[in-house]
Amino acid sequence: MDDINVAVLRLRNVLIVSVPGDPDDHVITGLQDKILNSMMRYRAKGVILDLSTVDIVDSFFARTIIDTAQMINLMGGRTIIAGMLPSVAITATQLGLTFENIETCLNVDTAFTLMEQTG
Amino acid sequence: MPVTSEDWERRKRFVNFTEADAKLLKQAKSHMEKHVDEVVNTLYANWQQYPELKKFLNSPETVERLKVTQRGYFLDLFSGEYGESYLKGRMRIGHRHQQIGLDVRWYIGAFSNYVELVTPHLFKALSKDLDKLQGTLLALIKLINLDEELAILTYIAAREEVISQQHEEILELSTPVVQVWDGVVAAPIIGTLDSHRTQMFMERLLQAIVDTKSPVALVDITGVPAIDTATAQHLIDTINSVKLLGAQVVITGVSPAIAQTLVHLGIDLTGIMTRSSLADGIKVALDRLNLCIRPKGAA
Repeated sequence: MDDINVAVLRLRNVLIVSVPGDPDDHVITGLQDKILNSMMRYRAKGVILDLSTVDIVDSFFARTIIDTAQMINLMGGRTIIAGMLPSVAITATQLGLTFENIETCLNVDTAFTLMEQTG
Repeated sequence: MPVTSEDWERRKRFVNFTEADAKLLKQAKSHMEKHVDEVVNTLYANWQQYPELKKFLNSPETVERLKVTQRGYFLDLFSGEYGESYLKGRMRIGHRHQQIGLDVRWYIGAFSNYVELVTPHLFKALSKDLDKLQGTLLALIKLINLDEELAILTYIAAREEVISQQHEEILELSTPVVQVWDGVVAAPIIGTLDSHRTQMFMERLLQAIVDTKSPVALVDITGVPAIDTATAQHLIDTINSVKLLGAQVVITGVSPAIAQTLVHLGIDLTGIMTRSSLADGIKVALDRLNLCIRPKGAA
């Protein structure tokens, strides 16, 4: 089932996922499975989604990220989005994609610190 | 180039300037050549009486040089060729006059001078053929009208270029983003936010946040005279974009008037941190970074 080529790193008890640059729908759905399974396997307390190489987003992508964050929450974890590019943020806002209440950080480093400090 | 040759052909069609007109003017050329010096000399004698024109005619050499150009201009009216090279020549002359700062009214007035000086010569030369006289006179008036059109367009195009340059400069100037502390950027908004400006403001603010790795951005609206729903929506969009990056916006400079307007308009700013002064905003930002300012020597 883990047939997509995306690395999910575990650092202490936090998962770090580097979302690929131009993900198609198949990759995005596969990513969700992989993250949730890794949550289970490593008993992680949170997930950091690194979006620094993503330069285009659509509503399906945003919806899947929001859903995944809710699922992680249901499993007792916390989600932080890190490193979104300015151009992506502007496009997302114009499309009305607010990623609801998912926490955001400037980069993985600050996200990790935040996860360690308050969690 | 304000007028393309396609436009030019359409203008000619609109005033009904035909090949027959071109031919009539060409036939009048031989008569006009006899009087060209007299006409040009009279023009300059007239123009030198006005200080506004005199300042461009300060030396006899300049006047002599301009008279040569003027002769060319005059004879071009009767050249019989009014295609692309005529158009380009006329626009070049218009552009040159605009550049030296000649008021367009003098430029247009000179066309009237031309008609006044040329008409008697036409009457004298063609008094035996009234149809031809009428045709030539009409052809000349049409052509001079087209010339005036080009002159005005050249002036307008130059002005519009200046205006659009200034508009860009104002936009640049009006959206500064400065770093006030390690991890804090501030962006004062002066004037109203329209959608074009918001776009530029957002891009600059977001880029500054990423470049300086700042978790807090202060957006100061002290200089915003009035807020309406559109402006508020632009602000909210900016705040949402900043939030996606992983930074937080604090709106500062919320005056009593703006606070009242926001509530009366029913604009929902829950979840958005607002303060009345930039100083308060800086305190919030430092607090967020676990920093504080205290007096020297205090424990």
